[in-house]
Amino acid sequence: MDAHRSIDAVWKLESARIIAGLTRLVHDVGLAEELAQDALVAALEQWLESGVPDNPGAWLMAVAKRRAIDHLRRSRRLEDLDESEVAAAPEEPEQDDVLRLMFLSCHPVLPAPARVALTLRLLGGLTTAEIARAFLLTEPKIAQRVAAAKRTLAEERVPFELPGRAELAGRLSSVLEVIYLIFNEGYSATSGDDLMRPGLTLEALRLGRLLARLAPGEAEVHGLVALMEIQQSRAAARTGPSGEPIRLHEQNRGRWDRLLIRRGFTAMLRAREAGGKPGPYVLQAAIAVCHAQARTAEDTDWAQIATLYDALVRLLPTPVVQLNRAVAYGRAHGPATGLAMADALLSDPALQDYHLLPGVRADLLTELGRTAEARVEFQRAAALTQNTAERAFLLRRADALPAEDHAVRTLADAADEFLTRDTLDPQTARSYGQTLRRLRAALGDTRPLASLTADEVTRVCTTAWGHAAAKTWNRHRSALRSFAAWAEMDDLAAGLERRAESTTRTPSIAPARLDALWSSDLPLREHTLWRMLHESAAAARTVLSLNVEHLDLDDRSAQIDGTLVTWRSGTARLLPRLLDGRTHGPLFLADRRPGPARTPAPADLCPETGRRRLSYERAEHLFKQATRALDPAGNGYTLRQLKPAGQTLSQQ
Amino acid sequence: MRYLMMSHPTGEPTNPNLEAEMGAWIEELTAAGVLLSAGGMAPTGIEVSESDGEVTVTDGPFAEAKESVAGFALVEVRSEEEVVEIARRFVKMVGNSRSVIQRVFT
Repeated sequence: MDAHRSIDAVWKLESARIIAGLTRLVHDVGLAEELAQDALVAALEQWLESGVPDNPGAWLMAVAKRRAIDHLRRSRRLEDLDESEVAAAPEEPEQDDVLRLMFLSCHPVLPAPARVALTLRLLGGLTTAEIARAFLLTEPKIAQRVAAAKRTLAEERVPFELPGRAELAGRLSSVLEVIYLIFNEGYSATSGDDLMRPGLTLEALRLGRLLARLAPGEAEVHGLVALMEIQQSRAAARTGPSGEPIRLHEQNRGRWDRLLIRRGFTAMLRAREAGGKPGPYVLQAAIAVCHAQARTAEDTDWAQIATLYDALVRLLPTPVVQLNRAVAYGRAHGPATGLAMADALLSDPALQDYHLLPGVRADLLTELGRTAEARVEFQRAAALTQNTAERAFLLRRADALPAEDHAVRTLADAADEFLTRDTLDPQTARSYGQTLRRLRAALGDTRPLASLTADEVTRVCTTAWGHAAAKTWNRHRSALRSFAAWAEMDDLAAGLERRAESTTRTPSIAPARLDALWSSDLPLREHTLWRMLHESAAAARTVLSLNVEHLDLDDRSAQIDGTLVTWRSGTARLLPRLLDGRTHGPLFLADRRPGPARTPAPADLCPETGRRRLSYERAEHLFKQATRALDPAGNGYTLRQLKPAGQTLSQQ
Repeated sequence: MRYLMMSHPTGEPTNPNLEAEMGAWIEELTAAGVLLSAGGMAPTGIEVSESDGEVTVTDGPFAEAKESVAGFALVEVRSEEEVVEIARRFVKMVGNSRSVIQRVFT
């Protein structure tokens, strides 16, 4: 046995309790984790010599606690340090501390990915490398997430307390969501080669079982545990010999793990004992119980499952739940009913790129004997999934269905031909390509061109660009009209109304908000650019195209392509620092040198730094990000809005 | 990874508070989500064996105490090191005890 790995195993078993106990002492989870890690380093030194002590958890806790008290004394936070409380602090952390830690690491002030990473780190004792591996991300990325999360918790002064009665439900559902996210990432890996990552399902099950012990009166917690136990019971039956997914009703139920099913049923009983109106996890678990109770797929009580989905959709009307409800209805009340429900979801923008929607439609179409359409839908689902095993499986299902006559021209053929005509200039081809890519993703590459209908084209456009600016909508509309005319199917785009493009300018940023912006701590490059745009009222693209050699610093002006850009003292004060001795090349530079595959024109490269010109898109993005907090609507502003009110727009 | 831990007595248990501690141990491992199932077993058993087409049924007790299993625990762990650590704590708690751990394929 490798001693380091043995000690790591001890750490994983003990770390949650130790960090929780220390957090109660020092009121800072980041510091608590550091102290616990210090104790682990001490343990490594000693235990490698003398072996693991009988009670390693208590040993680690004692060492960490000593360090915590030293730290508090050193940092002169004695006013925070009630000596008697410290002395009386039990060697063994309280159970509630671990529960507090869970609420802390899943706190709503953190973005979801940070909650997941922090929970695995603090409660699962996983290293950043292990978390990164599980989520197919780089270790620095995870380390950054964890560090930012700890910083946020400290800055927001999130207390190490159990939530009060009023906020308990909301806070608990945040914890449940994190655990289920971890479980799902392991159970149906969203990307990568493997269909499952057992490490993550195990971590989630352990967290759920732990939470059920810490908060035994909460029905939803038991519901989540029941749901995960029963889903996990099918793990061995979910994949075939070569890793291909096997769908629930085709699984060999003899391979379902009866032990986990029984544990799931027990958790479900506890949920019932806890009482209350069934919440989303209890309902999902009830659906899982229905499946687990059926000896064969034919015995499944689909009517009951459809009823449960009706209740679930009321609490959790997400597109995915609606899709599952369509599946249940298809089984309970016939494929035509299910298909009608699934079709209603085609216009939901949230499901545009969700591979399960075409997958479900393909199944129902197959049952209805509409195999040609089913084949196209399977292929479309395969193109949308990120998971390799799933893609292969969907393509196999498509191939098992009779193919269309090969002579039929498909949407993909036509689109390619349309875009590669010599008469098309590259920019138009690029723009048309965007439109047609969406059409192909939504209707399927292998759709026979002749079978496209105007209603479908209208639906795809409305789903994708219904809420976009009128200008965007009209651009895609004209692309489709052009394609339809070229394909001699003029009426394809007939349902697309041209939209009036408003000429009203977005309002300028209010002076008080601008003052707030100028007085905040801004990066030099951005500050100079924004000041110049504000003082010159010139167009952003014009200002970004300025070179150092265009500037006349004394005259506070620059000439470019016949346009005069002038500025005032605010910009003049900043410019020399931004130039920093540069005499040639773009005035505003990007952060990084261009990659080898993207060599910009020589005019867009700085001869001194090798960096490229700051692009308009990037400049807009940076401004939007920086002004998000300033904008009462929370969207952030565009560069155009830096122009003072009442300025003419002659310099476009 | 799932493991079956089988506990064999090698002498008299040395821990006078064994019952209470065992209860707490089971409670703790269950709470941690590690223990899936556990149970104590009767000291006697029946052996059924086949040799050259001949099936023999023999009633216990076993000739040697170390052949009998006193209890089992089915655990779900992250690694082999983790199950060894759990077994280490278990034999320490019971005293005069030997645990055999075998991976259960799922």
